[in-house]
Amino acid sequence: MNIIGLIIAGSVVLLPGVALLALRWAGESGQLRQFDRQALLPFDEQEPVGQATDQILGRKHS
Amino acid sequence: MSASVKSPAVRALLPGDVSPETSAPTLTADIDASCRAPVLFFFVSGLAWLLIGTIFALISAYKMHSPDFLGNCEWLTFGRVRPAHLTTVVYGFAMETSIAVLIWLMCRLCRTPLIAPGIITIANFFWNLGLTVGVVGILAGDSTGIEWLEMPKYSTPILFISYALIAVWAIITFRLRAEKHLYVSQWYLLAAVLWFPWLYGTAQVMLLLSPVRGVVQAGVNWWFAHNVLGLWFTPVGLAAIYYFIPKVIGRPIHSYYLSVLGFWTLALFYNWNGFHHLVGGPLPAWMITVSIVASIMMLIPVTAVAINHHFTMVGHFGKMRYSPTLRFIVFGAMSYTVASVQGSLSALRSVSEVTHFTHHTIAHAHVGMYAFFTMVMFGSMYYILPRVTQREWPSARLISLHFWGSALGIILYVVPLSYGGILQGQALNDASIPFLKVVALTLPYLKIRTFAGVILALGHVAFAVNIVWMLVRVFGPYRKPLQMIISGSEQPAAVGK
Repeated sequence: MNIIGLIIAGSVVLLPGVALLALRWAGESGQLRQFDRQALLPFDEQEPVGQATDQILGRKHS
Repeated sequence: MSASVKSPAVRALLPGDVSPETSAPTLTADIDASCRAPVLFFFVSGLAWLLIGTIFALISAYKMHSPDFLGNCEWLTFGRVRPAHLTTVVYGFAMETSIAVLIWLMCRLCRTPLIAPGIITIANFFWNLGLTVGVVGILAGDSTGIEWLEMPKYSTPILFISYALIAVWAIITFRLRAEKHLYVSQWYLLAAVLWFPWLYGTAQVMLLLSPVRGVVQAGVNWWFAHNVLGLWFTPVGLAAIYYFIPKVIGRPIHSYYLSVLGFWTLALFYNWNGFHHLVGGPLPAWMITVSIVASIMMLIPVTAVAINHHFTMVGHFGKMRYSPTLRFIVFGAMSYTVASVQGSLSALRSVSEVTHFTHHTIAHAHVGMYAFFTMVMFGSMYYILPRVTQREWPSARLISLHFWGSALGIILYVVPLSYGGILQGQALNDASIPFLKVVALTLPYLKIRTFAGVILALGHVAFAVNIVWMLVRVFGPYRKPLQMIISGSEQPAAVGK
């Protein structure tokens, strides 16, 4: 098999395989549960929900 | 949430001045500080490529209606300047800023200070080296002639070394993360990290190293060119939008369910889209039909993303007045919807038979790469740079000039050129109209494009001046705390005017 065949075969088998493994890992590790909690991940104690940031032009937004 | 760094492996890789056992506020500051040099290197070199690419863009645009301009210089003929423009803005500005945003977002969301900064610095050096070799090669006449892959193949190994280092760094950072749960932005970023080498590697092998023959070349070319937008730039752009909109307005994303649905449907459908560029071409009709169907299916993730962004912003649009990040990001998010819907409709045979081979396609590409992606990257830079440098933006006027230059410039670029492209397509399909008349018909729209390019360039210069001014302050005597920006709880953070 030439290199092109290897690439195509690899793409057909490997990529969906990796995607399925990622999906399985996501399910087993709880990534597809507790969505409400995951939506809060950009926030922390210093920049909690409800606190705007980057309001640097003109007056501070209340 | 796990806020401190517990892993000994991570601690071993941390920079010396970063304390691993810190509270959340200190950890955030530590993360920003650890990102300073690597992120700055990528942002500043990306900015330099943006300015160089803008010059190439203006020359190319002017040549489209005044072909004698710089006609005596072989290095600056249209066939060299135009691919040099694409290469510098895509692989220079867009790629380098997206890598910087990826690095910062990964560290923030993994709650891990940047590990092994030396890897990033070396990667930056190799990327700029490979790109310089590639652009000089194009200007010297060594372009491959393959759209979006014009850099000569002797520059590719250097770029691969760089990208491999970035990918390894990203995977190690993910593996050693302190926060075990993933935010949707991380899904997009990790997928992009894995998708890009597959796309770029496959295209390099099948088009340059061991070229396939005939129309398969065109198929591979458009599979790559379309997917590099959809499977690298789009995921990084969406990752930034999903992070910065909630962060700036202080409100979680409207529906996390929708965001996950959007990610997995993008992963499922986007890869099939590229062949719609070959409607009417000598490929098996079923291949093109599959691509058209996948292009229409893309309306699912696009609608999910658009609903999510809009409903997250409802009630908070007023904050755009005060946040440069939000202005650029919201403009980019709206443009994503426009670009995607326009792209899906353009894939239809009935539309494509008019717009294909016209300036409409060029306008559409700029909606995607500039109005969406570039604006999102600008917004991300406005958020990240003050935090990693601990300096405020020196001039609010320059921020406004940048935003309005970019926003009005790209609207003036896209709207007339899209309309002109449709007229051009209709005229091309009319066999009774001489070709030269069709060319003359497009001239007003091409001149408007050049004018729009000048406005865009003004915005870019304003942005560059503000960044250089900020960096001068980093190394100068000016010291002003950044508390008001970081905490958001202070009174007006009046940036100097």
